[in-house]
Amino acid sequence: MFLKPTIGIETHIELNTNTKMFCRCAVVDTDEPNISLCPTCIGLPGALPVPNKKAIEFITLLALSTGCEITSKGMFHRKNYFYPDLPKNYQISQFDLPVGLNGELEIVIDENKDYIQIERVHMEEDTGKSSHSGSGRIESATSTALDFNRSGVPLVEIVTKPVISSSKQAVAYIEELRQLSIDLNISEGRLEKGNLRFDANISVAPEDSTELGTKVEIKNMNSLRSLERAIDFEIQRQTKALEDGVEIVQETRHWDENKEVTSTMRSKEGSADYRYFSDPDLPNMFLSNEFIKEVETLMPLLPKAQREELMTTGLSLSQSNILSKSDDWIKKLYVKVFDQTKDSVASYNWITGELQGQMRKANIEVLPEWFNDDYLSEIIELIKSNKISFTSAKIILTEILTTETTPSKVAEQKNLFQENDSEKISEMINQIIKENQDIVDRIKSGEDKLVGFLVGQLMKQSNGSVNPGMAKELLLKELEG
Amino acid sequence: MSNEFNIKNIAKLASINLSEEEQDSLSNDLSIILEHVNALSDLKLNSQQQEIFIHPLEKELELQEDEVVESLTHDEAISNAPESKDGKFVVPPSME
Amino acid sequence: MDASNLSIREINSLFTKKELKPSELYSKVFENAANSEAALHAHLTLFEEENLKKAAESDKRFSNGESTSLLDGIPIAIKDNINIKNYKTTCSSKMLSNYTSPYDATVIEKLKEQNTLFTGKTNLDEFAMGSSTENSAFGLTKNPWNTDYVPGGSSGGSAASVGARSSIAALGSDTGGSIRQPASFCGLVGFKPTYGTVSRFGLVAFASSLDQIGPITKTVDDSRIIFSSISGEDSRDATSVINNQLDIPSDNTATIGVIKELMEDGISDEAKNEVNKVVEILKSKGYKVKEISIPIIKLSISIYYLIAPAECSANLARFDGVRYGLRVDGNTSYEMMENTRAEGFGAEVKRRILLGTYALSAGYYDEYYGKALQARKEMIDEFAKTFKDVDYLISPTTPTQAFKSGEKTSNPLEMYMSDLCTIPANLAGLPAISIPTGLSKDELPLGVQVMSKPLSDNSLLDFSEIIENEVQFDGQPKGWL
Repeated sequence: MFLKPTIGIETHIELNTNTKMFCRCAVVDTDEPNISLCPTCIGLPGALPVPNKKAIEFITLLALSTGCEITSKGMFHRKNYFYPDLPKNYQISQFDLPVGLNGELEIVIDENKDYIQIERVHMEEDTGKSSHSGSGRIESATSTALDFNRSGVPLVEIVTKPVISSSKQAVAYIEELRQLSIDLNISEGRLEKGNLRFDANISVAPEDSTELGTKVEIKNMNSLRSLERAIDFEIQRQTKALEDGVEIVQETRHWDENKEVTSTMRSKEGSADYRYFSDPDLPNMFLSNEFIKEVETLMPLLPKAQREELMTTGLSLSQSNILSKSDDWIKKLYVKVFDQTKDSVASYNWITGELQGQMRKANIEVLPEWFNDDYLSEIIELIKSNKISFTSAKIILTEILTTETTPSKVAEQKNLFQENDSEKISEMINQIIKENQDIVDRIKSGEDKLVGFLVGQLMKQSNGSVNPGMAKELLLKELEG
Repeated sequence: MSNEFNIKNIAKLASINLSEEEQDSLSNDLSIILEHVNALSDLKLNSQQQEIFIHPLEKELELQEDEVVESLTHDEAISNAPESKDGKFVVPPSME
Repeated sequence: MDASNLSIREINSLFTKKELKPSELYSKVFENAANSEAALHAHLTLFEEENLKKAAESDKRFSNGESTSLLDGIPIAIKDNINIKNYKTTCSSKMLSNYTSPYDATVIEKLKEQNTLFTGKTNLDEFAMGSSTENSAFGLTKNPWNTDYVPGGSSGGSAASVGARSSIAALGSDTGGSIRQPASFCGLVGFKPTYGTVSRFGLVAFASSLDQIGPITKTVDDSRIIFSSISGEDSRDATSVINNQLDIPSDNTATIGVIKELMEDGISDEAKNEVNKVVEILKSKGYKVKEISIPIIKLSISIYYLIAPAECSANLARFDGVRYGLRVDGNTSYEMMENTRAEGFGAEVKRRILLGTYALSAGYYDEYYGKALQARKEMIDEFAKTFKDVDYLISPTTPTQAFKSGEKTSNPLEMYMSDLCTIPANLAGLPAISIPTGLSKDELPLGVQVMSKPLSDNSLLDFSEIIENEVQFDGQPKGWL
């Protein structure tokens, strides 16, 4: 039975402002608990909220970058529920007049583009952190300890319309949103630090059905991998249930990373009644046209536009997508190298392949200071002009990553310049043939595969400096002759 | 206006553990009050609903600069905690 | 000469002329406290020791001719829902009986800058909810005119203290009449400023859109001095406004309106007589007086008793035993919170929290809270229209004289109805003052209320002073002797 999945994703992005959303306590990243607090963010009696301008600028920027309509007269609402990590036992959020409405985000999967509609973008505040002591599972904890450093940190909530249809799409969406928030400079986008958190709403229904199935909310997916697996699992679970004639219960389920299943949470009866009402401590927020224009000046080249630009250099959509999601220095390096070599394929492959690969292997996080952007172009040119082989180029790269030197210096010192002189090569070939007469005989009697061996010997003897293409050609000629 | 309410549900939402007597007397009180409040249902009104923020002087929200202001020390913040350990506030286990 | 009977300006003059020392005044005031507290229980705590030091510092300033403030060395009583750093703020509730505030309210900071002394914290109805101070968890406060009667509420302790001269003036808070009504019951001036002119930062919130801090004093001038010191826009309160006062005439070019709806059923003849008395005085001085009808005022109680409880249900959610205050244990944190709130809150507080929770709950918002908001907007518009025709509105402050302890506690609605005259000013954010004008046949004080349009506080005070000078209410209560 094929049932079409419908998925919506709710994402929370922690903004990297200096201070919290409704007080001027510093946003801190520390293990020391409860050191950045004030009456407002721990809900002392008599405390009041005052909003953070930078946070509003950031959310407006995000809303604009996804093509949302900006609500010019907005308000804050209180979302009322009791929980120990929520100091006031209400969260200041936005209900029906959020900052941004009706936007969309372009996502890329391999060579295909798609558009995910965004329902809303709104501002709210984060809660404190709970740690449960006991055996680790919430059900058997003996006590809960609270750290309110995170309480009040600005959070942007982005809700998609239920338009996502696969786990792959979901992952591509989060990757794009993450990159966008990094490029906009509003978040560090570190999933492992909780800078970006997401929940998914999933339902399945027959392909031709006009109605959506019962939706289930999935929480506790802490990585892209768990997002993908949880969605796949849940789709399967719901499909099987319906096949077996079992009704889907509308509920919130918890993704268990270890068991790789979703399970019912100890849920409250029914859906929560948050009793939203406009926060009387915060007057209406007017975002004027001037304000919006000012925020627009902060708009960088968005990932979508970056991809378009990169494709004009000759890269595929998929390659442009990968670059658009790379660190800034990689994007800049590609542009520089392409400018000099005009070779998009070589530039792309060398940067995303060999360079990043070697850096990872050698545990180098940042290019050394002596590493000139030109070096890669130099290497590419040397290969193009047949002055060095691909293998030699790799060796050169390894060297310049660890030693303060230049590609040509390395080539010289290590004698890597290719031998392209056919006479000299022929000389070497004759030497090899002399030394490997038995192999030559075997080749002459039909064992063609052994040609490779002779080429290998030639490469070995010449320290890899012989142009392998030429070498093979000349060797074959010699053997025939 | 309907005056049907379930005092137990409301108390749950408000996170107050009412005794049986309290449930009865408060239920009664609320009925009396709500009956009086019913007078509002006859009122014909013009204004739009959710858009209203009642600040009598129609003040606009002023956004503050993102600059750190030091406030409570760790000790001050935790000074009134009914229970604390290793610098954190401690409570009985909270369920998700 | 008993300096504790004098006005602030008169006292300051004596200080400046070195005919009286602040420490001498302080002694007299504390002597009054010693004589009256047993009978009246106005204060919950007295700051005796701290004030010895402060008074001595004040002595020094005056003797060196260095004093710069009218409030220097003046002992003022503070309602115990206003935070003073390092002192308890109990709000007369079991919930906060052991809570010590780590910060000063803005008004306290301002008064400290003026070198004001604080006599201590005064009793109130728990969390400012009530009209008699009978809802305090720490005992009743009595009316200094007759201890069989209540002093009013919720700022009953503040009023009783000024009445008994155990303070020269006091701060109270007013959400539905909690400054004006006790002032009226105790023969004092009680002033609720325009909403937003006095910062609420550090005032334990009851209903955020209605609460204002204000003075309870012996004279209008004393209220003027205190208002001037505590008012001003505060960056820590987003609802506070720049105190740009509007000047309206206070002389007989002003037009006076008597509110028809507050001179009808539900108002005692004695209360109406006081208003008529004042009207006659004004007419004789050449003021134009006319009858004004504002029909929506009749719905004040209904509107108020939906908005105030709704807001308070969220404002009091933070009291949960997690971070401060009372904690009653439970197996889980939910249980702990439920048990704590069951024991920590008194009946009236529970009543209002539950009423507010219901009014906001799913399916009932439109009917109750939503409707109340709309009605409130209409009332604001009606008042704005009215103030195009008149400059000042006059009405009784309360329907009757003070009532006896226990008289109104059986039916919550009966108590609420006594707020009829005062509530409109909170709903519309108007400045409003109660001036004592005479005594009832039971020898208890009666007062008259004057209101004017937002931000005309200074003119209102000027106009009220004119009435005060004409009425010459003379009264030093000795009901506790």
